[in-house]
Amino acid sequence: MTVSTQTVSTIQFPYKRTLGPVMGRFFSELTARRIVGIRSGERVIVPPMEYDPETGNELARDFVEVGPAGTVRSWTWVAEPIASHPLDRPFAFVLIRLDGADTDLVHVLDAGAEDAVHTGMRVAPRWRDEPVGRIDDIVCFVPGERAETPEGEPGEAQEVTTMEYFSTITYTDVLSPTLVRYASNLRAGKLTGQRCPQCNRVFLGRGYCSVDAIRLGPELDEDLPDRGVVSNYTIVTPTPYPGQKETEPFARASVVLEGDEMVIAQQQILDLPVSEIRVGMRVRAEWMPEAERDAAEITSKGWGTVAGFIRGWRPTGEPDEPAEQYMNRVF
Amino acid sequence: MTHERVAVVGIGQTKHKKRRDDLSIAGLVREAAQRALDDARMTWSDIDAVVIGKAPDIFEGVMKPELYLSDALGGAGKPVFRVHTAGSVGGSTAIVASHLISSRVHRRVLAVAWEKQSEGNAQFGLGGGKSGSIGAGGAFAPWIRAYIRKSGAPEHIGWQVAVKDRQNALRNEYAHLQLKDISIDKVRESPMMWDPLHFLESCPSSDGAGAIVLTDEAGGDAAAADGRAPAWVLGTSMRSEPSSFNGRDPIRPQAGVDCAWDVYRQAGITDPRRQIDVAELYVPFSWYEPMWLEGHDIAPVGEGWKMVDRGETAFDGDFPVNPSGGVLSSNPIGASGMLRFLEAALQVRGTAGEHQVDGAKVALAQAYGAAAQYFAMWAVGTDKP
Ligand SMILES: [Zn+2]
Repeated sequence: MTVSTQTVSTIQFPYKRTLGPVMGRFFSELTARRIVGIRSGERVIVPPMEYDPETGNELARDFVEVGPAGTVRSWTWVAEPIASHPLDRPFAFVLIRLDGADTDLVHVLDAGAEDAVHTGMRVAPRWRDEPVGRIDDIVCFVPGERAETPEGEPGEAQEVTTMEYFSTITYTDVLSPTLVRYASNLRAGKLTGQRCPQCNRVFLGRGYCSVDAIRLGPELDEDLPDRGVVSNYTIVTPTPYPGQKETEPFARASVVLEGDEMVIAQQQILDLPVSEIRVGMRVRAEWMPEAERDAAEITSKGWGTVAGFIRGWRPTGEPDEPAEQYMNRVF
Repeated sequence: MTHERVAVVGIGQTKHKKRRDDLSIAGLVREAAQRALDDARMTWSDIDAVVIGKAPDIFEGVMKPELYLSDALGGAGKPVFRVHTAGSVGGSTAIVASHLISSRVHRRVLAVAWEKQSEGNAQFGLGGGKSGSIGAGGAFAPWIRAYIRKSGAPEHIGWQVAVKDRQNALRNEYAHLQLKDISIDKVRESPMMWDPLHFLESCPSSDGAGAIVLTDEAGGDAAAADGRAPAWVLGTSMRSEPSSFNGRDPIRPQAGVDCAWDVYRQAGITDPRRQIDVAELYVPFSWYEPMWLEGHDIAPVGEGWKMVDRGETAFDGDFPVNPSGGVLSSNPIGASGMLRFLEAALQVRGTAGEHQVDGAKVALAQAYGAAAQYFAMWAVGTDKP
């Protein structure tokens, strides 16, 4: 049986930026449909910075209103926008020198077609209906001198001190031949590793010896027992965070495979209250039913994981092994 | 000596807090850096090179923040380096900066390390962005259990360290936690977070930054002549080892032993217990104090907890550990190593204020990271080596 040679993971997090007094002022002013820069010597920097980017010197908080119209200084056309782009139709990323500014602002231009964009053209903002104090309060820039402004007065500037930044990253992990073989064996219900010919240690799914730094090829594959000893454990009181599903204290144990070989870390002990887990306890693997085995958790960053193949480990009821012999073996 | 002598002539840090909602990331690093420059009587233009350290980018979600921070730290037109060695990074950052001077590549280097934990979530980050993160506490708890079992240490040792470091923090205006009513009872009765670690035996999450200005020998001499005693770097070392292999001793990792002895050798230390006056050790969970006392041969194996028990590591003990309040009181992760390193320098300069240890002439600082597999240490002294 074979497994896919790559796994895809997505991680997401709503980061919360503190803006500080200078960027905070810039975003606050956007809520009143004003764009401000900061004076740095003879220049006006937009968006404003806390310091002179050339020297690092602190800047006095001398804010200057600029724009709203400006001149395109450079641009690039995006013919096929992707989901994370600010507009869902073809657009240009532009560098705009707003009137009164001495630096260029990066933004987007909704010009309809590529041949409608040129360096030197005049553009003005299209404001969002309900400003929230983010850069996309300016939905985009549009050709011409006149800002596109919703009906009614914008009202007083609201104080904006933080910005939520929702980050999402999807990455593809290409599995090494060793990991593919390791996962294929797991799918067949077999735990395998390679024994280093130099130091006699066994490693799961690595393809090299971490101590001797030599390659461990398929000829060194060895079947390993799916029985072992709990060498140590931790009981975690879960803290809430975005994506956290655990709510009750849970245990994670390290299992040293029989024969004092490899450690498999962060395992669940089945059918036992967390308070009764002991170092030295003998356990055996509970494999997932064949149809449910899944290699999605096998990545090149987590050596020797059995997630997706072994549900957990069940106490065998045999007498414990001496704890001292095992306690150091955690990862 | 064939290499250039290195002096710490400027030290700065932020007020560490759960959330520095008054500052951007640039503002945070600049608060520490500006204080270090002021302390060194220098301006941004006096600096030849900048070294930036922080822990994983996933903590704030700013990828390659050194790019954005280069001009915030006056780096335009200068060499800027980013260092990354997990939790030990603040120490490694100071060491990389010192090497730029000892190798005579640069004469005045600014080293800054930081973390703004409130922008993200470290448990999320350490769990690879997935549910069920065991966090740092869950990773270290089994080794702590093993240490307790093997050494036969009584459980109050962990509580005692937790109280001692928080009491020291009350002397340090920059420390995050200011727990005036901390007590053994409070630690013991605090929730069990990662068995056997209680909540109050664990470090907080902090926003903060630390910075130092290092110079060559001439710069150190000039500061001394101006009545501002420098801290002289006596020895530096970094060591690492793989996180998992059969036969590893994770309680007393060989990399930590080797790192310590490399520093001792450079500093002419043969009996660390007697020749070092004060130590700042990276103790994010209380039990790591006795573990590192043994792991760096300050106490014999199995005896570190007895030093704690006898009060020798207390502020008024004969081997004070973490007079700053330590990682247990402030933990802006990427900066935590730098805070150890700069506190050691403060101590030997005699400028540690309320947390000054009397007569501190030689100070040791240590930071460790990941699965106790990265180590960074330095020794600094009042006297020129
Ligand atoms: Zn080997």
